[in-house]
Amino acid sequence: MSSVTGDMPVVDRRILRFVAFGVAVVIGVSGLTARLFYLQVTHVDQFTQQATQNRTVLQAIPSTRGLVYDRAGRPLVVNEPSFAIKIRPANLPETKRDAVVAQLSRLLAMDTADINAAIDSSPGSRFDLVRIAQGVPRDTANLIAEESEDLPGVEVSVETQRRYVAGTLMSQILGYTGPIDAGELADLKDAGYLPDDLIGKTGVESVYEEQLRGTYGMETVERDAVGRRLQVLETNQQAEPGNSLKLTIDTREQALLQKAVEWGMRKAGLKQAVMIVENPQTGEIMAMVSLPTYDNNAFTGGISSKAYRKLLTNANKPLVNHAISDQYPPGSTYKLVTGLGALADGRVGPTERIQTHPYIQLGLTKFWDWNRTGFGPLDMTSGFAHSSDTFFYQVSQRLGISRLSYWAQQLGFGKRSGIDLPAEVPGIVPSEKWKQDTYGQQIQPGEVLQAGIGQGYDVATPLQVLNAYAAVANGGTLYSPQVVREIVGPDGAIVRPFKPKVIRRVKAPAADMKLMRLAAREVVTSGHTYNLRELPLVVAGKTGTAEFGARDSQGRLPFHNWFVAFVPAHGDVSKRDSKLAVIAFAYDSNTVGNVATEMVKYYLQLHYKLKVDKRLPYLLERGNFYGGN
Amino acid sequence: MGVLRIEPARAQAWAARSIEAIWRAYDLQLTIYALLLAAIGLAMAYSNSVESGTAVMASGSTFVRGLMWAGLAIVVFAVATAFDYSWFRTFVWPLYLVNLGILTLTLVIGDGVGGVARWVAVGPFQVQFSEIAKILMIIVLAHYLAGRQQRLNSPLAILGACLLIGPPTVLVLLQPDLGTSLVFVAILGGMLFLTGASLRWLGVLAAVAIAVVPIAWTYVLKDYQKQRLISFLYPQADPQGSGYQLLQSQISVGSGGWAGKGLTNGTQDRGNFLPVQTTDFVFAKLGEELGFIGAIVVFVLFAVLIWRILVAGWRARDPFGLALAAGLASMIFFQFVINVGMVIGVMPITGIPLPFVTHGGASLISLAFGLGVLQSMNIRQARAEW
Repeated sequence: MSSVTGDMPVVDRRILRFVAFGVAVVIGVSGLTARLFYLQVTHVDQFTQQATQNRTVLQAIPSTRGLVYDRAGRPLVVNEPSFAIKIRPANLPETKRDAVVAQLSRLLAMDTADINAAIDSSPGSRFDLVRIAQGVPRDTANLIAEESEDLPGVEVSVETQRRYVAGTLMSQILGYTGPIDAGELADLKDAGYLPDDLIGKTGVESVYEEQLRGTYGMETVERDAVGRRLQVLETNQQAEPGNSLKLTIDTREQALLQKAVEWGMRKAGLKQAVMIVENPQTGEIMAMVSLPTYDNNAFTGGISSKAYRKLLTNANKPLVNHAISDQYPPGSTYKLVTGLGALADGRVGPTERIQTHPYIQLGLTKFWDWNRTGFGPLDMTSGFAHSSDTFFYQVSQRLGISRLSYWAQQLGFGKRSGIDLPAEVPGIVPSEKWKQDTYGQQIQPGEVLQAGIGQGYDVATPLQVLNAYAAVANGGTLYSPQVVREIVGPDGAIVRPFKPKVIRRVKAPAADMKLMRLAAREVVTSGHTYNLRELPLVVAGKTGTAEFGARDSQGRLPFHNWFVAFVPAHGDVSKRDSKLAVIAFAYDSNTVGNVATEMVKYYLQLHYKLKVDKRLPYLLERGNFYGGN
Repeated sequence: MGVLRIEPARAQAWAARSIEAIWRAYDLQLTIYALLLAAIGLAMAYSNSVESGTAVMASGSTFVRGLMWAGLAIVVFAVATAFDYSWFRTFVWPLYLVNLGILTLTLVIGDGVGGVARWVAVGPFQVQFSEIAKILMIIVLAHYLAGRQQRLNSPLAILGACLLIGPPTVLVLLQPDLGTSLVFVAILGGMLFLTGASLRWLGVLAAVAIAVVPIAWTYVLKDYQKQRLISFLYPQADPQGSGYQLLQSQISVGSGGWAGKGLTNGTQDRGNFLPVQTTDFVFAKLGEELGFIGAIVVFVLFAVLIWRILVAGWRARDPFGLALAAGLASMIFFQFVINVGMVIGVMPITGIPLPFVTHGGASLISLAFGLGVLQSMNIRQARAEW
């Protein structure tokens, strides 16, 4: 050991320990090198693949949803760019969830309960986006994007949102789109639907979902650890825009019809009413109004659960299209079935007269005519015109329940019409089999009488009643009604042209159908419909007053009013050239006269631009058809 | 031995030596290796700035801050080289008190991620005092051991060293920073070993340390620390949870291959799949972008740097210098093995930086200071060159 200066202490150097330390360094570095070699050289493929999987993801390119036009080509729906707020639950720590939900609730003015429900009812996995809100204003979206540091898992995306131009006027027809739910996703996952997708929920948006949606494309996207898109690496498949729909309905016609319904409802204090216009030659629905209704635009931005509950619990069911989704006793309008069936089966001769009475007695029960004095002897035409109940009780007895149900089915009762709208109900045509299946009993003789005048077990949708009259008006073809006329491709070419859909040719002789058309004309000319005959227009039709529910203190039942009419093209009801059939249904009308007839009258005045106004408002005053008049 | 009395004498001695002699004694290799490692760290910071999409030269970017720290580190290195290292021995005990002071301060007003106290905000900077504490502790321990060179066979001296290093270790453990407290233990072990402490008593010390493990597991370790140890053993158990970092860092390194994806081309960083890619996990980014070859260059640089430090220790003219070099070599080696081992999945995750390469001011300045002292020792040593 050497040292230069004497005052320096001796240094205790141990060469072995230095060597040992050096060996330890060599061993350490060698060990790390071996491991590094394992990772970077022998397993490079595996880790390269994992790194690629990390950063790339196959993402759907949403297609542009097809539009909907009215008959005249006016757009009813537009796609507008909109901001949606979504959450990826995997990126939202449970400890921060309450704070994030509270902040979103404040920014979006949504209930925290709705946000939590959206997260919890997410149909996808924790790594899939959950839709929280759509149609968010730009400022709010920007604010949320800026605060993304405090909102882990929250993403803002730009997408297109439906705006329904016609507002409430077309809501029942068009329906709306909304977030896909778990059940729908389970069915449609294989068809390329995504957990945060939008789907047609009701109306033609739902029925024509497949056409409107188009085909989503696919692209390979580079993303970061929290799923944000960095860049598109490759487009694997281009998105194809959806087809557009052209409705059979003209919005102006729809507006006229709505005007008539609204007037009748306002004057008569109705809570629910329906009117439908159909072209008997094709089955095209020219207009269809069911009130009260809702605004489908309220759904496109994501309706709050409070607002939705309000719509759901409303006793008048604004979300339901009463024209097809509710069934009512058809009342005297059903006498068309009884009359045509009896004529076709030869149970009643075309000019045969049958004595009418104040009532028909079966056992101890009296079946009253609405006119409690009777009408004397009537033939089919006058019996239909006066709507004599005792006349049709006897016709029904002659026909029997089995043939009555046969003819009802021939005219489309008891079965869905197949209209291209969702949630249609089939109605009920009582028969021996139906009674056995439903109640385990036989049809009673009195029930045959009831069935012949559209009471008792008979129930039908307003569309079924209209469609039956349209079949008689066109000489016997029962069409499946349609609201979509054409399907048009993105390039404007017609993909599916209009084609009437025939359900059946009604198996009744043309002469009998002609007789029933004349009888329907007689309803108007006889004055049964008051001054409808004064319109400068040949109208044939049938009224109906259908009792339902429970009797009041004076033993009177509440009732619905019906009026179904058709207008021959050239003023001759013997011809089968009618291009316009219309029905009005007034729920629980409780008026002095038939409010449905007045509504049809008003619509015809509007449609044909008649220079007269024959409406009789006094008939719409509150009272009872039986007791008050 | 007052400061003022000694200082003029040293300055004279230095002035008397020729510049040439100083230059010959100066270990240029040591400086170059350290500079190269720091340059690689800066390259990583540059790459990170590019990939994060911010302007590379914008004020406050990772790269600009790295440059700034590197500049300051060079100044500190130069100043430390200029001063006679044995001068520090005159105020070792005040230094020790300062050391405890800054660690206590960290506990009281410190800040960190997730309820831990790691940094103290000094102006616009977050300073991790425990990095400075490691170097200060090496000086204190070196002074203590140098004074007891002939008595290192006695368990009392070893116990004394343990008592000295105990308080700072516990203060760091309370932050809680298990990794850095382990660095203190490694420094102690390395210094005792190289300064010639009795192997028998070192063995007893090691046995006690191992016996402490189950007790520490039950009473000392926080849940997140246990979680990290568990996820080190079973990284696949919860790939999105605490095993995530481990898995992602291995994917980063593994996907680098022989030559790497090239600087600024790391997809793991760009996509933020790799957490803390400029600090504790900088080696993962390095492995991804510079590949096996780049990583081996770093390994070799560390090995030769440690070699040069050991050489400096061997040549030291006094036991203090030897102990100082032993402490520095132990610290750098331990941190290197633990940090790289953590990234490539052979060591548990602890917040230990990779010396010189990790982006962090306190760590780099402390190391520059330590190496500066070492160079000061080199140019003042009396032994012949090797």
